[in-house]
Amino acid sequence: MELSLIADMLDCRNHTDEFLLKKEILYCYASDMMSDVLKSCKIGALLITGLVNQQVIHVAEIMDLKGIIFVSGKEPSAVMIEKANDIKLPLMTTKKQLFEVCGILHVVGLKGGEILQDR
Amino acid sequence: MNNEILYSKSFGISGRDFINAGTVSVKIKNILKEIGIKPEVVYRVSICCYEAEMNVVMYADAGNLDFKITKDEIIVSMEDKGPGIENIELAMKEGYSTATQEMREMGFGAGLGLPNIKNNSDEFRIESEILKGTKLYFKINLN
Repeated sequence: MELSLIADMLDCRNHTDEFLLKKEILYCYASDMMSDVLKSCKIGALLITGLVNQQVIHVAEIMDLKGIIFVSGKEPSAVMIEKANDIKLPLMTTKKQLFEVCGILHVVGLKGGEILQDR
Repeated sequence: MNNEILYSKSFGISGRDFINAGTVSVKIKNILKEIGIKPEVVYRVSICCYEAEMNVVMYADAGNLDFKITKDEIIVSMEDKGPGIENIELAMKEGYSTATQEMREMGFGAGLGLPNIKNNSDEFRIESEILKGTKLYFKINLN
């Protein structure tokens, strides 16, 4: 599913370059703990998180994540947005809560992916 | 096994420097990607390095990460000056963490740091001395 569709579904505000929303998303992962992401998130997934700091961007870069959705209306800083544009990582904010976002994306068919499947 | 070192680089890591935290691991990832190491290995090495780097940033005063590539493996050794780990057996247990509230708010303290390094490496060693520091050593096979 194209990221732009996901953004519409979740009433997201996009912070990074518009063309990045063309990315195709197959898998999602949700957590506020960075070691959880490093342990269990599928490479290339879309991350849904309530954690907003530079570390999320580093972890996304390490795991080649396709994008990040910040929940509960949390907004990334200008520094985060600049870095994300540099590495072509779309950042979005939704006012919806983590549980609701996961529910919506699950219903439309997005998967969590098998843990450690590609390592 | 051919142990000739084909590439080697050393990185300094400052404790409590949350601004630059993680940048060493991202650099290592980019080096590995550029020289054409297979993706699976790139992920494993960078995950290990990131966890090791964050441990230094969170708990130690300063650390040094040595990174070597041979024909068959990637070898990382990390040494820090810091409080050391009181109980290594506990620290290796998934879910156990001594992270402060502040660290948890930054997304750390899942109690997965050292286990993530162990699980993503082919050889792993840890030594620690209280009030002196911790030494980590891990190897990841290229094939």
